[in-house]
Amino acid sequence: MNNNEWLNDLRRKMEDLTEDVPDGLWDAIRNELFVEDKTENSIPIVMSDDLKAKDIAVSTIHYKPVLYRICGVAAVLAVFFIVGKLFVFNDKKEFVNYSHIKENSPQITFPVQKSDENAFEEEMVLKRNNPDNLRHNFVVKNLNNSPNKTELKKDLESQKSNREENQKQYVHTKSQQHNENTELQPIETETYELLTKEEREQKQKLKENEKIKLAKNKNKKSWAVGLLTGNTSSSSTEQFPGYATLNGATLSLPEMWSSGYEDNPLMAILIANQDKKVDAKIKHKTPVTFGASVSKRIGKKWSVGTGVNYTKLSAELTSGSGSNFISSEQNIHYVGIPVQVNYTILQKGAFTGYITGGGLIEKAVSGDIKTKYIVDGILKEESKEEISEKPVQISVNTAAGLQLKVIKNIGIYAEPGVSYHFKDNSSLQTIYKEKPLNFNLKLGVRLIID
Amino acid sequence: MKENKEQILVSRLLQKEEAAWKELFGVYSGGLSYVCSRYIINKEDVHDVLQNSFIQMFRSIDSFEYRGSGSLKAWITRIVVTESLKHIKKNPDFKKVSEDFEIADDQNDEDPNLEEISQPTIMMMIRSLPDGYRTVFNLYVFEKKSHKEIAEMLGIAENSSASQFHRAKAMLAQKIKEYKMSKTAHYE
Repeated sequence: MNNNEWLNDLRRKMEDLTEDVPDGLWDAIRNELFVEDKTENSIPIVMSDDLKAKDIAVSTIHYKPVLYRICGVAAVLAVFFIVGKLFVFNDKKEFVNYSHIKENSPQITFPVQKSDENAFEEEMVLKRNNPDNLRHNFVVKNLNNSPNKTELKKDLESQKSNREENQKQYVHTKSQQHNENTELQPIETETYELLTKEEREQKQKLKENEKIKLAKNKNKKSWAVGLLTGNTSSSSTEQFPGYATLNGATLSLPEMWSSGYEDNPLMAILIANQDKKVDAKIKHKTPVTFGASVSKRIGKKWSVGTGVNYTKLSAELTSGSGSNFISSEQNIHYVGIPVQVNYTILQKGAFTGYITGGGLIEKAVSGDIKTKYIVDGILKEESKEEISEKPVQISVNTAAGLQLKVIKNIGIYAEPGVSYHFKDNSSLQTIYKEKPLNFNLKLGVRLIID
Repeated sequence: MKENKEQILVSRLLQKEEAAWKELFGVYSGGLSYVCSRYIINKEDVHDVLQNSFIQMFRSIDSFEYRGSGSLKAWITRIVVTESLKHIKKNPDFKKVSEDFEIADDQNDEDPNLEEISQPTIMMMIRSLPDGYRTVFNLYVFEKKSHKEIAEMLGIAENSSASQFHRAKAMLAQKIKEYKMSKTAHYE
């Protein structure tokens, strides 16, 4: 290869040249290699120390970097659950609600079992003696009076089967509260594991793993896989006089009177409240959203994403007054597919600021309404009804997001934003219907694979 | 035996001392940017590849063995080349280019004379070569890799590497020739 000689000249000529270093390269490298220690530390500071948990985490992690990574993700997720709880003041209201029921419930269980046993039995007998046809009559009448009363009908029908559940009610409400407490427990321990990231060695291993992943990925574009959980920042309370059902229909007394069966807990409530001011109150709890998302980078600043979201909408209806009321709880579960476009505005250190906009199509996959009848502070009946209506809910949203890189490929983000929910043409009473324009906060974890 | 500057820097790098890494960056980033730019055209990609390279260095500095003066530079350059190739391989167009290019074989019998051409001009010419050609050419000429090694690194056949190199060389020679002609034409 005689004419390769000029290539040697070329090499000699072109050796040891320099080129302009890309802007901000050192900053980027420094952020990757040195700054992240600080950001990692800043998160655990919020949490109180639990050295035991930390020690355990450290020893496990030495040998199981993969497990460690999973724990890391879980921990970050957990942080957001906690932070999310802090953000959503309305959760406190939920507690208030429970305790409200609890106040009544001591009267519920114990009197029934002891002093009021006779009365209770009497009523049972009465009901057995008044078999279905009576109830049936009632139902028919209701149907004739107003087509809106279908829900009421269902409630009444299911009353029969639920008698023995009455006594469990107190335990149930209490355990609900208990659950909330225990739920916090594992979250806390997971969070402590995050502390271990201070360990530089661990971090190295972690990075190596990320790197392997990075190397395996042959795509030019970057993909980000994320998990999110969000809360719209407000719940809503609606109050109007009279009785109401969760599908929006208002019950009025005269209609009820026409049925005239006093063994019915609903009737009992109506009778007890006949000379009182009666209010129906619908309280929509803050929607909770969980999701997993994939986003693809298109260009340096833009990315598009999609994924799967799960949203639970819950609402509570209290109809009646004082110690005589109907309490219904509606839970609707939505599964949705979001489509988002993100634009990066600024990148400073481990922080990335961006704006995002997109749409979300959600379909209700299941829903139910639990109804409790409380007469004179005593839980008389409880029924559960499946919601057969499965509306599709379409919404658009926009948000400004801030992402913080915790470790190389994992970022946590917060996206306060606004969403608008279009009418879904269903009779379901949801927070979206009441307040189509909602402020919300989505929190989540994003895994970025280069 | 007294340690030289390079060895001292290495030992500080091993401590993962931020100042040491900054020094490494300060001393070598220009040269590395140059090496990287030979392979990668897009500026932002160069940034990303270099960033990954430094992270890779940081991570694997433990495995670096000092073998005399210049070995640190050789090592970090190797990392940049490896990272650049990794990036190039992500590009699906990378192999495609090699097949559809026709070039007259050995049209110039005499070696191109490089003397009167500035380095940036040559650099520009190298960078204007199609991805596949450029990669093979760079590896062969600047990294002094054999076609067998190149084939292994890029996951292509050995004769494919040879033919790509051959074409790249011819193309570059042609570019130089054209450049010279245009230049002389300009002066006349």
